[in-house]
Amino acid sequence: MKKWNLYTPEGVQDILFTPCAFKRELESKIRNAFRLNGYMELETPTIEFYDVFAGDSGLMRQESMYKFCDSKGRLLVLRPDITVPVARIAATKLKDKDFPVKCFYIGNTFSFDELGGGKQNEFTQAGCEILGANSPEADAEVVAMAINTIKATGIEEFQIDIGQVDFFKGLMEESGLKKDEIEEVRELIDLKDFVGVEQVMDRHNVKTELKTLILDLPKLFGSKDILETINYNHIGKRAANALDNIKTILDILADRNLDKYVSIDLGMVQSMNYYTGIVFRGYTYGVGFPILSGGRYDTLVSKFGRNLGATGFSMGINMVMMALERQKKLSNPVKEGCFISYEEGARKKALEYCQKLIDKGIPAQIDFMLKGVDEGIEYAQRKGLSSFVYFYTDGSRKEISL
Amino acid sequence: MRYITIALSKGRLTELSIDLLEGAGLDCSELKSNSRKLILSDHKNKVRFFLAKPADVPVYVEYGAADIGIVGKDTLLEEGRDLYEVLNLGFAKCKMCVAGPKALEGCMDTVQISRVATKYPEIARMYFRRKRKESVEIIKLSGSVELAPLVGLSDVIVDLVETGRTLKENGLVVLDHIADISARMVVNRVSMKMENERITKLIQAIRAQLK
Repeated sequence: MKKWNLYTPEGVQDILFTPCAFKRELESKIRNAFRLNGYMELETPTIEFYDVFAGDSGLMRQESMYKFCDSKGRLLVLRPDITVPVARIAATKLKDKDFPVKCFYIGNTFSFDELGGGKQNEFTQAGCEILGANSPEADAEVVAMAINTIKATGIEEFQIDIGQVDFFKGLMEESGLKKDEIEEVRELIDLKDFVGVEQVMDRHNVKTELKTLILDLPKLFGSKDILETINYNHIGKRAANALDNIKTILDILADRNLDKYVSIDLGMVQSMNYYTGIVFRGYTYGVGFPILSGGRYDTLVSKFGRNLGATGFSMGINMVMMALERQKKLSNPVKEGCFISYEEGARKKALEYCQKLIDKGIPAQIDFMLKGVDEGIEYAQRKGLSSFVYFYTDGSRKEISL
Repeated sequence: MRYITIALSKGRLTELSIDLLEGAGLDCSELKSNSRKLILSDHKNKVRFFLAKPADVPVYVEYGAADIGIVGKDTLLEEGRDLYEVLNLGFAKCKMCVAGPKALEGCMDTVQISRVATKYPEIARMYFRRKRKESVEIIKLSGSVELAPLVGLSDVIVDLVETGRTLKENGLVVLDHIADISARMVVNRVSMKMENERITKLIQAIRAQLK
C-alpha cells in the first residue's frame, strides 16, 4: 500500500517560486562576493564513502549521517559537510605547485540533526577554504571574507566571535588534567556552566592563578580588551602563542577596517574537533543559531595524507534566509515581464513580437488560453508581470502597463 | 531597543523566579496579576515574559524564541539542549538518584540491572551507558515512579529525591547519586552575543541577590 506518496521525508522541503527565486539571488550574491575576492568555485559529489567522514577521531557523529551501500556493499553517506571533502581533494587531487589555493563551494549537505529554528536535514551551505597557508594573514583573510559574505546577503547587524582552541588546549596542558576530564571541562565551558567547571577543578590541585583563569574561561568573551586582562605568567607557552595569534589577526582586521564587527570569545571550545587554531562564528538577530562558523584546521588534510595548513568557514543559507525574513529584509519580487495575447489571425505577429522581447533579454510569454483582453490582463497581474500586449486581426495592438 | 524575552517554568519554580526578577529591578506586576494573557510585558525595561511547561523552556531558549529561561537542572539534563547555563539560582534543590529496594544497597557493583523506570529516560540512559556501561531497558512513566519496583515493573528507578520520605515509606533506598539539581538560568547562544550588555547586567543583578 502506498502510504507515503503524498509526503516528503522529515527535514527536507520543496522550495517554491518566490522563496526559490530569492534563494537563487542570495546564492548569486554570495558567489559573486567569493569571485570578487579571488576564490575559485568547486563541486564535490553529493555522496562520499563513509570512511571520509568517520576516521579514527570521528569527525562527524555516526548517527547524524545518512548512510547506504553501493553495489559492492561499501558504506556510503550523503555528505554532512563540504569542508571534509575539500580536505580530501586538497590531499589527493591538487599538486604541490597549486598551493596556496583559495576555493569556495555552494551545495546541499545532509544530516539527521534536530529540526526547527531554521534547521533542516537537507540544507545549503556556502563556504570557502584557503589551503596551504599557515599565516595569521590567511586567517584574517577568511574572517574578512566571512564578514563580506554576510554583508553581501543584505544582513547589516551581525557579529563575528573569534576564539582560539589552542588557548584552551594550552591551559589544559598546564593544568595536568586527564584526557576525559579535559573533555568534561571543554563541554562545561562550551555550555558556559560556571558551576560545573568549578566542581571539576575542585577535584584537582591546580595552581591558583591557572585555576582562576580556567574558571573564568566561560566569562572571557566581549571586546578585545579582555585579552589584555590575561597575565601571561601562568598560562604556558602554547596558550601564550594562541593569544599572540589572535591579537595579530585582530590587528590585521583593524587595518581592513573590519574590527567593529569582531569580538572575542575565549570560551568558544566547540565540539567540532578538527579545529586547531582560531575558530569563529557569525551571529545575527532573528535566528537562535549561528549563521556561519569556521576556523583553522591544520590536521584535517593530513588525515588524507598530505601535511597542509588550512582555514575556512561555511555559512548556512537556510539560516541566513530565515534571518532576512525575520529582519523583514526579504524584498518583494520586482514586477517584470510582458504577457502577449492575440485575436485570431494575429498569431504570427504576436509570436514574433514575443521572441523579439526575449532576444532583447526582456522576459516575455505568449498566451495559450486566448480568452480575450480582460482575462489576459487578469492573468498577467496574478503572475506579477509588468505589461500586457494584445494583437488584433487588423494589425493594431494594445499595450497596457500593469 | 528590542524586547528581551524570558521564559519561566510553570509550577514550583514560578514564584521564586519572579522574586529574583523583581529583585533585579524588573516590573513583574503583569506577571503576578493572574491574567489569561500568555505573554506579559515590562514595557519600561523592554522585557517580555511567558510561562511554559518546564520541559519546553529549554526548547524555547535553544531556538531563540526566548532569550533567557529559568528552569530546573533536571530538565536541562533530560533535554540536552545547546544553551548557555549561566547561573545556579540555588533554589528548588534536590538530587537526581538511582533508588531501589533495600536488598540492592551496597551491592550495586555486583548486580546487573536490566529494567529501570523513570520520568527521565535520557538521564537514566546516560547514567547507565556512561557510568555503568550497561544497556538497560528504560520504562518511561509519568508519575509515582516509586511504584514500579514495588509491583515488579522495574529493578530500580531514576528520580528526583528531595527529602527521601516517599522512598523511605515505601521501603526504597537511594543506591547512587547522579547529579545535584537546582533551578538554573539559561541563555540562548546568539542572544548572549547580540544582547550581551543587557543580559550580563541582568545576570549580575540576579547573582547579587544570591549571595
